[in-house]
Amino acid sequence: MRAMLELHHVGFTYRSYGDTQPHEPVLREISCVVPRGKRVLILGLPDSGKSTLTRIIGNLIPRFVEGELSGSITIDGVPLHAGKPWDLTDTCTLVAQNPQEQLLMTTCGDEVAFPLESLGIPREVMVKRIQQTLARWKLTDMMDVNPQELSGGERKRLLLATADAVDAPLWVMDEPFDDLDPAWRSVLLHRIFSGDRTVVVCASRYMDEFRGVFDSCYFLHDGILHHGSEEEIVLAFDQAAQAHVPVVESTQESDQSSKLSAEDLVIVHPRRSVSSAVPFSLSVPRFSLTTGEVVALVGPNGSGKSTFSRVLCGLDPYVSGSIGIDGNHGSREQLRTSVGYLFQNPDFGIFLPTIAEELIWSLQHNPAVPVHQHRAIIEETARLFRLRLEDNPATMSYGARKYLQAAVYYILDRPFYIIDELDSGVTYAAAFEIVSLLRQRGAAVVLITHDHTFAKNIAQRQYTIDEGKLYEQEVGL
Amino acid sequence: MTTSTFIAGKGVLYRTDARAKLLALILLCVLVFLPVSTGGIWILFGMAWVLAYHATGFRQAMQPVKSILFMLIIMTLFTPFTYREGTVVLQLGSHLMLTREALENLSILMARFLSITYLCTLYVWTTPMADINLALRWYGLSYRAALVLTLAFRFIPFIADSFAMIQDSHALRTSAIHAGKKTWKRKIADVVPTVTAALVFALKSIPYLAMSLEHRGLGRLQKRTSFRHLPARGGFLFTQMVVSVMIPTVLWVLFT
Repeated sequence: MRAMLELHHVGFTYRSYGDTQPHEPVLREISCVVPRGKRVLILGLPDSGKSTLTRIIGNLIPRFVEGELSGSITIDGVPLHAGKPWDLTDTCTLVAQNPQEQLLMTTCGDEVAFPLESLGIPREVMVKRIQQTLARWKLTDMMDVNPQELSGGERKRLLLATADAVDAPLWVMDEPFDDLDPAWRSVLLHRIFSGDRTVVVCASRYMDEFRGVFDSCYFLHDGILHHGSEEEIVLAFDQAAQAHVPVVESTQESDQSSKLSAEDLVIVHPRRSVSSAVPFSLSVPRFSLTTGEVVALVGPNGSGKSTFSRVLCGLDPYVSGSIGIDGNHGSREQLRTSVGYLFQNPDFGIFLPTIAEELIWSLQHNPAVPVHQHRAIIEETARLFRLRLEDNPATMSYGARKYLQAAVYYILDRPFYIIDELDSGVTYAAAFEIVSLLRQRGAAVVLITHDHTFAKNIAQRQYTIDEGKLYEQEVGL
Repeated sequence: MTTSTFIAGKGVLYRTDARAKLLALILLCVLVFLPVSTGGIWILFGMAWVLAYHATGFRQAMQPVKSILFMLIIMTLFTPFTYREGTVVLQLGSHLMLTREALENLSILMARFLSITYLCTLYVWTTPMADINLALRWYGLSYRAALVLTLAFRFIPFIADSFAMIQDSHALRTSAIHAGKKTWKRKIADVVPTVTAALVFALKSIPYLAMSLEHRGLGRLQKRTSFRHLPARGGFLFTQMVVSVMIPTVLWVLFT
């Protein structure tokens, strides 16, 4: 069978402007042959070079990011270096881990249309294809909505709809299952396995849905791509993930318990780009969170998990109802200083050139901590979260930036934390570790996740949001 | 224009063709710089504000003023120093503070600035970006040039949203002691890292934008097709074009 994708001895080393010392190679020895119509899973820890590899296959690296590329790559028999990225539009579709990186246009319809317009597809065919794919990914009502107004999961679906509309014979996907709820994960799996397309999926977690469905499995570790049976690869991956994460010291009992509660909350959030769409609304009859517990918050994409979290930590207003701390009304200012909210995208909370400066910024804003203790606190925090104080966050991987984001909030020592989709882009072990560290001083954690297995293994209680209402449910359902 | 892009709504501006609106916008912007009365320019600004209010409501209609407030304050502070001769309005000891000519010039500058801001904002608020792109191409702009403009408008709200998210993130990192009693000094000190973070975020997105454009086929030699198209309304478009020329012309005659 003719190979769709061939990688022979591929290696890559990043190069930064002004560097005197050579960087360590991200990829050392990547060799694999993916026959036409086969589905391949590449597992790798965060920071192992999966995103780099997908961009190399898309001919985007080293074109847009400086570095030394070695080895050879062919797609459908054509050497990659012979063409430009736009030559691959109808041959190879990339789906990025972070949808924000790939979204270009101001409406969902235009987003899906862009590559089809580039391919010169006649308008009648294009309209039909756009309608079909938007319907398949349940985005028909969002045709004229600005992608910036979509939730993280909806953006991922839009990206997948765009890939689906192009329908290239080779799909290369970087963490495509992240941000998707279980129903959409099964839709994606169905799309991956329908037709005769060749698919390469890169993932930082081995999900239940992957079991027995891929034709071959690889493990990307220390820049080398290892091939093996599914069992061997998953075992090697699990061992590496566990070795990567040290055991966290046990959780301390909090001196005094604190309770965050909400009653009869009504939250309304209109979309501004379309007047026809019904404004998003969420009702919360009862919600409570006591220090020391871990509570999962689950729900379909776009159900309002992040919206509720923003209200709970005082960032956004609510229409009616009440939020209280220990039985007293919690003003938005009180909520902001009591509830730490770790955004889905860690970059919104990271802004200084080094980890040391990033960690110390919060301390400088807290006069209760004496200045002479600052250095010791940030050194201890960096040790716990395995960060190097002199590192530049901009050059760290997505998963490592999530660690830094958590470290920043660890220093703040809040009684309540909400962590938005922590499990996307990091291993299960790393996600467990981050939650454990934040709970060390007895804080309560609300964990927003789409992964019911993860929720079941970590949470004591669960809230579900569905069809505009939040309610308590058995964990893992 | 500086705050956001299309906002869904109803009204005459939403029903008007993007090409006719663009023509009216250009002519009205030219009118603002013609030798017309200051009162006329203020009336034009008033009309634009009323249309913005009608289309989007009071809160949204005030957004552009909020966005350019800093520049208006700078103008108010520094314009008097550039007109040192004329009828004295305010003098402290031997120091001339304000002349009538300075006030008149400040009034013209502010009226022009506000008018142009509101006219452009109204166009962007009431016209979907894809229609703006098509209108520009209808007037002969190349696809790439129109795309650059579209992307700029796509990224202005994106950066504004990122700025807001980063600001939120910083708000969550404030201590209980600092909450609620932020001094101006503290606020200004906090703006610096927020702006820096938003800029870094925006700069980091540039290579990704370029990657996405090329990956999605920008650069291919074959002719692009178009998903959107402006309705070919024939006589209706002609009528709107004529009205778009007539309105600035009538205002010019009235204000001269």
